Amino acid sequence: MAEITCGNRMTREINAEIRRAIAAGEREIVVNDPGARHNLGVAVLEPVRIRFAGSVGYYCAGLIDGPRIEIDESAGWGLAESMMSGEVVVHGSAGNGAAAAMRGGTVVIHGDAAARLGVSMKGGTVLVAGNCGYMAGFMGQKGRLVVCGDAGDAFADSLYETMCFVGGGIQGLGTDAVVEEPSQEDTAWLDATLAEYLPGTAQRGRDFKKVVAGRKLWNFDKREWKVWQEAL
Amino acid sequence: MESLAGGALKDLLQASGTFQPAVIEDIQAKAASGLYRIRGWGTLRERRWATFDDLTFLPCSLTRIPLEGYREKCSTKTVLGKRFARKPIELDIPVMITGMSWGALSYNAKVALARGARTAGSSNTTGDGGMLMAERENSRTLIYEVLPSRYGINIHHMRMADAIELTIGQGAKPGTGGLLLGSKVSDVIAKQRDLPVGVDQRSPARHPDFLGPDDMIIKVEELREATDWQVPIFIKMGASRVFDDVKLAAKAGADVIVVDGMEGGTGASPAILQEHTGIPTLAAVCEARAALEDIGLYGEVQLIIAGGIRDGVDAAKAIALGADAVYIGTAALIALNCNRPLYVEDYQQLGTEPHHCHHCHTGRCPVGITTQDPELMKRLDMDEGAERVANLLRAMTLEIQMLARACGKSDIHHLEPEDMAALSMEASAICGIPLAGTRKVFGR
Repeated sequence: MAEITCGNRMTREINAEIRRAIAAGEREIVVNDPGARHNLGVAVLEPVRIRFAGSVGYYCAGLIDGPRIEIDESAGWGLAESMMSGEVVVHGSAGNGAAAAMRGGTVVIHGDAAARLGVSMKGGTVLVAGNCGYMAGFMGQKGRLVVCGDAGDAFADSLYETMCFVGGGIQGLGTDAVVEEPSQEDTAWLDATLAEYLPGTAQRGRDFKKVVAGRKLWNFDKREWKVWQEAL
Repeated sequence: MESLAGGALKDLLQASGTFQPAVIEDIQAKAASGLYRIRGWGTLRERRWATFDDLTFLPCSLTRIPLEGYREKCSTKTVLGKRFARKPIELDIPVMITGMSWGALSYNAKVALARGARTAGSSNTTGDGGMLMAERENSRTLIYEVLPSRYGINIHHMRMADAIELTIGQGAKPGTGGLLLGSKVSDVIAKQRDLPVGVDQRSPARHPDFLGPDDMIIKVEELREATDWQVPIFIKMGASRVFDDVKLAAKAGADVIVVDGMEGGTGASPAILQEHTGIPTLAAVCEARAALEDIGLYGEVQLIIAGGIRDGVDAAKAIALGADAVYIGTAALIALNCNRPLYVEDYQQLGTEPHHCHHCHTGRCPVGITTQDPELMKRLDMDEGAERVANLLRAMTLEIQMLARACGKSDIHHLEPEDMAALSMEASAICGIPLAGTRKVFGR
């Protein structure tokens, strides 16, 4: 296992040291004292395990493909944005736009997520143990977004095919968001996902509401102009 | 009255100057559909605004010595991204192909543009749909766009690019997202963008993971980390509050700033945005240069100007006003046969005629450029198209050199505002160039 201490160094030097450690064959790396620096662990493409022993700033684990990245405390905006595969686990909370545009893999946030969770997501799974802020799931294209606690306003606005699940209350649904009964397949998937990533939870798949696109925004129809008026 | 010719008869009938026939048609179309008008291309209105045509070059006579055409060297080499990138891009010419998505354009069009740009020693750009691998394979210098939608975003593709362009907006419709109507969201395009087949795709206007210029500083650093500080980072914006926006983009760490004026084209957009938003390209280049001079970064941050560039004359004037290079989009598509009188009956089926078509949004492009229909696409031969694009780029470059030599310049980048005179008071005021026949810059 390699250990990297950030000290007074810049992000560029720390990321370069992470890359050197990976190139040298290290498969487990601990980064001490990250100090909420931005852009740590960006674009890691190897199946390594990296643990940030503290809080990280914006875009941690952005554009990754394959690693498992664990953050002991909290993360800033754009956590794991555009990630393609791998796992990102945050033991604290995450700022705006967590899992934005993610294409695959899994993001787990043990605390709360701020606004625009999973915005424009294109695949994968984002799981929040706590609550999320407004506009979670906005324009979600594919993948699954799970919030065990409460969801903020404008939840699941303008969805394409992302499936959203909420264990608590929803402050307000977004435009064209529709609540429907989860299928047996959905609850089985939720049970398996909760068991894997939040094994201590008392929640079960059957406790979740499912929110999907009403598809009224997918193609313009003048009979639906009221919906479009609110969306645009 | 029956004996009067049609035009004279219409004059006597006194049509409204306010509710002209096109306005009447527009109102009635909206009354039928309940939706604003959507179309491709760019602004169509003939309006009184200052353009590059309001400037003229002042070639050498007795005060300066011209270079001998065809004999004396006039460099066109263009280097972009010298500020922070380890590998700036080096082009043989200053005319580049702008970002147009695979989806808005056909596969054949994207490949033809890439091959044409490669042949001419220039670059091409991906667009709002990610990288088409055939485009990469056929490009010499490929710029990878990172747009608000992030369709097809792929770190592996990003690392295959020669530059990254973080797009904030575009000239045809600044402040709004992209649009691709369902007729063009085919199986393959839907898969590329992770969208349902046939959906009227509306892209977000804002990036999903940053909002303002301060966040963008961090975003630019992320892109540099992702590409190991190797390739230049461009920031592209639609021309709006250019003086302030350019300074903010420079502060964010851009190597290159792209400003796209309101004459810029698009595959599909609400028509009102094309006609009533943004500022003209001529004004945009002047504001952009002034902004970089104001913060002492003119020359260090390179400037690319886009939006309705038609020929080497427009390009030379943009360069003389401060641009390092220009993007062309619509002109490159015209080189591929856009609006050419071929398959005339298909234009007519769309309710238009060659030279008047702006129906890219329908996906029924008669010449196979802005379509995903395999049969229509076949009408665009990639090799022939590539040759025409390369020819256009070369011809434009020769035009720029011709003007530069006539002005006594051995490098096209030595063209400067004082090589020109203004032909209108508006152009004089905008460009800070004396009106022809006077020594006066209007507004100063």
